[in-house]
Amino acid sequence: MNMQTKHTADITNAEESLAVQQAQSKFDSQAATDLAMQNTLLTPRFYTTDFDELDAIDVSPVRADWDQLIAEMEADPNKGHFKKNADWDTVDWDGMEPELKKEFIDFLISSCTAEFSGCVLYKEMKRRGSNADITKLFQLMARDEARHAGFINDALREAGVAVNLGFLTQKKKYTYFRPKFIYYATYLSEKIGYARYITIFRHLEAHPEHRFHPIFKWFEEWCGDEFRHGEAFALLMKTDPKLTAGKNVLWIKFFLTAVYATMYVRDHQRPAFHKALGVDPDWYAHEVFTKTSKLTEQIFPITLDIEHPRWQPTLEALQAANVQIAAGKKAGGFGGKLTELGGSLKAALAFVKLYTIPTVKHRVPESTRLEPAY
Amino acid sequence: MGLLTKDIERAPCTVEVSHCFESLHAHVRFNNGAVIYPGDEVKVHGPEIMAPFGQVVSEDREATIFRASKLEQLWTRLTGDFEVMELCEFSFSEEVTL
Repeated sequence: MNMQTKHTADITNAEESLAVQQAQSKFDSQAATDLAMQNTLLTPRFYTTDFDELDAIDVSPVRADWDQLIAEMEADPNKGHFKKNADWDTVDWDGMEPELKKEFIDFLISSCTAEFSGCVLYKEMKRRGSNADITKLFQLMARDEARHAGFINDALREAGVAVNLGFLTQKKKYTYFRPKFIYYATYLSEKIGYARYITIFRHLEAHPEHRFHPIFKWFEEWCGDEFRHGEAFALLMKTDPKLTAGKNVLWIKFFLTAVYATMYVRDHQRPAFHKALGVDPDWYAHEVFTKTSKLTEQIFPITLDIEHPRWQPTLEALQAANVQIAAGKKAGGFGGKLTELGGSLKAALAFVKLYTIPTVKHRVPESTRLEPAY
Repeated sequence: MGLLTKDIERAPCTVEVSHCFESLHAHVRFNNGAVIYPGDEVKVHGPEIMAPFGQVVSEDREATIFRASKLEQLWTRLTGDFEVMELCEFSFSEEVTL
């Protein structure tokens, strides 16, 4: 690529990074062939929140940790990481088993959409806020997410899939989340993301024969970004003790249960992908939950009891209910509706059974900050 | 803004789409300081903005903001939270079978 402006990989501060990303205007002869590629419209959602509440956050109680984390993010340890190098071996897309190819492309597209949506949300918060600490953080996180999305997009292009960003000209509705729900959901999402990436990375380190695509080699540094984002949300929650006490503990339990259960169900929908990685989805789920629980002890006063005798069988029941719902939808008609309704009732019951498992309580440490250790 | 009536306003905006290896992002910025509230809908006019790979495209466009009624805004505030799980990345689509 021809580069007049500084490459984003060579700059060290976030303002500059975003400015350069915006200034770069390059042409790629591939562009013409893009139209012939399979076209996938990205459909991120748009959110608003209580921006006054965000602006009112005062990070003074965690100032030392906060400044250190922001400095680390500004130094941008991954600035040169998301580049293809000799480690990016050729991928035999044509030789890939069709089931695996389908599931793997679904994995890439969903990951790209998730990173992209994160970028949209963080950028919006950066733009609407006026608290310098908060806007700085969201700007840095938006940078990372856009970079991840770009990297995955490139892997998709190799597979002949072009993402379409035309969604901006469609009519779109803005929904609303309370700030605390954004903290719980994104904190967990970043931490579980770290646990998911690092578990796959370590597994493939030990079993390189299962590494069917080079993108997995990038997961180690990649999940460092997820880890740092999670740290930032942990510190944000630490500034207000009410967020992790009283009735909010029930919300935390709700988010933990919903996040773990959703991950379990989604992973079990992609058997070929996990088989190719040589990973048993039940083992993987347990491993990821264990790591995530350990990490979230930094800020949450409870963890889920994933060793409880009711845990695993209920997850399996939830997965079966989900399959039933899908079968009902597919069948259609009155019978299909009944099947679907039955599945929904079973799923709701399973969720209640998971939610009512007593939690494990523990004391939250004085100091919140952690380093990635897995 | 009425309890049940929707207001419609036009706002100039800048749309930026980056389709680069270094960054894949897209944003709309209103140039008259218009602020979006829960339940509002936004439509950017004109043809789809397509940035070829390797390019950042920035275009000034006109957008229509369909303001939610008071009731709709309240409803979005009350129910939006139920959709918060969307923020979690699980790296797979919702399709049960592909």
